[in-house]
Amino acid sequence: MSANCEQENCEQVITLAGDLHARPAGTLAVAAGRFAAAVSVTAGSHTADAKSVLGLMGLGATSGQHVTVSAAGPDAREAVATLITILTQATKVGGLLRNQADRCTW
Amino acid sequence: MTAAIVGIVLVSHSAELAAGAAHLAAQVSGGTVTIIAAGGTDDGDLGTSAAKVERGLSEAESGAGVVVLPDLGSAVLTVRAVLEDRSDAESVLLADAPFVEGAVAATVTAAAGGDIKAVAAAAEEARHVRKL
Repeated sequence: MSANCEQENCEQVITLAGDLHARPAGTLAVAAGRFAAAVSVTAGSHTADAKSVLGLMGLGATSGQHVTVSAAGPDAREAVATLITILTQATKVGGLLRNQADRCTW
Repeated sequence: MTAAIVGIVLVSHSAELAAGAAHLAAQVSGGTVTIIAAGGTDDGDLGTSAAKVERGLSEAESGAGVVVLPDLGSAVLTVRAVLEDRSDAESVLLADAPFVEGAVAATVTAAAGGDIKAVAAAAEEARHVRKL
């Protein structure tokens, strides 16, 4: 599934395979900060600026939840694609792990 | 890109608190930012050390400036005293921010390539982000 784009506005929905803990939130925010586009992540009734790691952690997004990544700006398409990839990798079991045997729990 | 990254100095009354916050911020931000923990007095007690802050500022500087986060108000006095004696004080910003959240937010913004003002602003915005 690819992003729905209209001019410089793109969005894509993903179902989280794991909870959005601190480290994946950090990875997302670092990646989002490199795009010119305004990027946001919506989980349930809450929306956070994807460039704010604290905002992303404050979403409290959990496994199985539908999350929408939206971007507006010249590089919106790349921003959404990049963040969806990170969300897919970072929240799945075995994703972005260094020391833990199981999924990232923080 | 090999542009210089803003450095971070964490000034705490506790060496363990500074080191722990630095470790956490490094893990969350992916380990690309220089974060120096300047915690405790020179003889290992609770308190702050001008010498540790001074050293931290030098170690954290890589050409893009340094953002300093104090844990409690009195750490600010130590940092200000150090800055008064430095000629490069304009490349250092002291952020008025919650310590742990500010350290994490500042470091993530530095890792994304933010300049010194953006990094300090990210730390200060941490005050307004709800966690519940």
